[in-house]
Amino acid sequence: MAATTEAPVALKKNYLTALKEALDEEMQRNNLMLCQGEDIGRLGGAFGVTDGLQAKYGEDRVVDMPISEAAIIGSAVGMALNGMTVMAEMQFIDFISCGFDQIVNMMATYHYRTAGEVNIPVVVRGPAGAYGGGALYHSQMNEAWFCNSPGLKVVCPSTPYDAKGMLKAALRDGNPVIFYEIKELYRKREIEEELPTEDYIVPLGKAAIRREGSDVTLVSYGQNVYHCLDAATELEKQGISAEVIDLRSLVPLDEETIFNSIAKTSRVIVVNEAPMTCGFAGEVVARITTKAFHLLDAPPSRVTRMDTPVPWVKPLELHVLPSVDKIVNEAVRLVKF
Amino acid sequence: MSAKSGSATAERAEQGQGSRRPSESLTREECLELFKQLYLARYFDIRLIKEKKRGRLRGTLYSSHNQEAILVGSLFGLQSADWISPIHRDMPAFFLKDIKAGWDNDTRIGMTIEEVCCQVWGKEGSPGRARDNWSHIGSKSKKIIHSTSMLAGTIPAAAGVAYADRMQGGNCVVLTYNGEGSTAQGIFHEAINYAAVHKLPVITIIENNQWAYGTPTELESPLEDFADRAKGYGIPGLIADGQDVFDVYDKVMEAVNHAREGKGPAIVECKTFRAYGHGDHDDDRADKYRPAEEVEKGRQRDPIAVCRKKLIELGHLTGEAATSFMAEGKGAGEATNDDFPPEVVAYLNKGIEAAIASPLPAAEEGAMWVFKENN
Repeated sequence: MAATTEAPVALKKNYLTALKEALDEEMQRNNLMLCQGEDIGRLGGAFGVTDGLQAKYGEDRVVDMPISEAAIIGSAVGMALNGMTVMAEMQFIDFISCGFDQIVNMMATYHYRTAGEVNIPVVVRGPAGAYGGGALYHSQMNEAWFCNSPGLKVVCPSTPYDAKGMLKAALRDGNPVIFYEIKELYRKREIEEELPTEDYIVPLGKAAIRREGSDVTLVSYGQNVYHCLDAATELEKQGISAEVIDLRSLVPLDEETIFNSIAKTSRVIVVNEAPMTCGFAGEVVARITTKAFHLLDAPPSRVTRMDTPVPWVKPLELHVLPSVDKIVNEAVRLVKF
Repeated sequence: MSAKSGSATAERAEQGQGSRRPSESLTREECLELFKQLYLARYFDIRLIKEKKRGRLRGTLYSSHNQEAILVGSLFGLQSADWISPIHRDMPAFFLKDIKAGWDNDTRIGMTIEEVCCQVWGKEGSPGRARDNWSHIGSKSKKIIHSTSMLAGTIPAAAGVAYADRMQGGNCVVLTYNGEGSTAQGIFHEAINYAAVHKLPVITIIENNQWAYGTPTELESPLEDFADRAKGYGIPGLIADGQDVFDVYDKVMEAVNHAREGKGPAIVECKTFRAYGHGDHDDDRADKYRPAEEVEKGRQRDPIAVCRKKLIELGHLTGEAATSFMAEGKGAGEATNDDFPPEVVAYLNKGIEAAIASPLPAAEEGAMWVFKENN
């Protein structure tokens, strides 16, 4: 009788665990790396992204900082100037505005104003995004501020694989990176996946096609990627084939993947949960209009948050944010255009 | 103007000083070198004002006239491996750092006069290839934190440099320079609080020149002594007579020794007076916000004169030397090259010649170095 062999049970990991592994592995491989932020050491972070790191790497390398976002970022810049790599955590990305000057005037410009003498390997990361009832100050997507500050890379992964690979890439990049994590995805069971056991990175600046289609392109990032995927499923029932692109990286932006898709579909909707005016969706639409206008059969469109803050209670919050229905309706309009 | 030492903090600092002041250990040669460095800083300022008035320079000059003792006295006791973080009014600091390793020593851990002049002239030979203006330079290799317009905004970087140095087994101190005005910025508090928590060797020098552009100190803070800000951080707050290079040296060395022993940061307030406008664009308007009598009074204790008097008392300056090169009290309009030691004039001439000879950076450089390229 032949022996039966049992395949090892593959362990799926969530988005938060992926981030934790990235930090752990980079701390392991780089003795000159340090993590700092509010409550990241003893507590392990408000959401647990740094859980266990202080016990492993010590209080000098995983530092509980005072409630001083500007000093958290500014001191990271000084450490980078003096040879270190730093992960600076914002407890919520909403609080990054308290460190705004240090980011846009000190960190973003350092390489430029020193004619390349100084590199700033600092990753400022934190939980972002709405749909969780976090209200005005625990729901923001403020990425556009930083996309408008030359010298910063801005990224937003939507899967565990990307979360780990992009955080590792960001920490090795040598440029300052603002890293948007989607807190609603941290422990989302449906997106858990197996991660490679060997070292890997996901290069910054490359978009991913999450679903192929031929009638309309849905361009998004972060949590809205899942809204787009659900919209694509719904549109299929109506006989419309939607392609879904996950930008992953806003700066640098992978224009090629967007334009190649539009060449196929000739219609495009850009979806983001930031407000409309001067939001990143507007930038993507502008590039499509100026560089790929000839490929279009309908005006490029966008579905964004209304120009409002994010309100607290559910009906209000959902009212102002992009939704599957809003994306579907807009896609149908474009196809009939 | 005399140094005020009315606060409890200052008294504690005085008591902690022991019987012998660090400056009492300086040799005659060192004392004379300090004196010459005051001339160097003054001549740099006066000469650039002249060049500016002749239309040879662009941008704004923030005069350090009357505040030179703070720069010279604070930098003199540093070690080569120490870092500094100057701001707009501190341009001489860039070449005064580590200058005791030799005025013409290109390998010292401070900028050469050629580099600094190339920056002022906006030429390719500038350490930052003239991408930002005037004092907005720095150098990683020379251990000078690059200054910006955000004033106290560089103190957290100083703290980070200190933290990273300690992580890598170093024992450096970091001197940051600030006006009394920038102590009202939120980042001043965040950065010094953080440095104090971690006992980082960061010394914050407050050049209290009594004017933040057009606003007097009483509208910047209710404190009589800005050194008292130290109380909120549980760190020493010392007060120095900013006109007296020896007193600045003493107080800064006290803070430096304290920091190097691992006891953490300190604040050293240097009382001084801004002799001219905020910047040279403002010289003609300064009468609008501050009375002429105050300016007249504020300029009375010229740091060169104060140092000269001390050197005569010590017997280091005698005979003809005691009354030669009377630069004190003279502005750019009155002073001539004859008011300065010839080696001082020659030193700056060397820098200016290099700046004139250096080409402008290529226009394309304006779009370069936004990102580090990863190939």
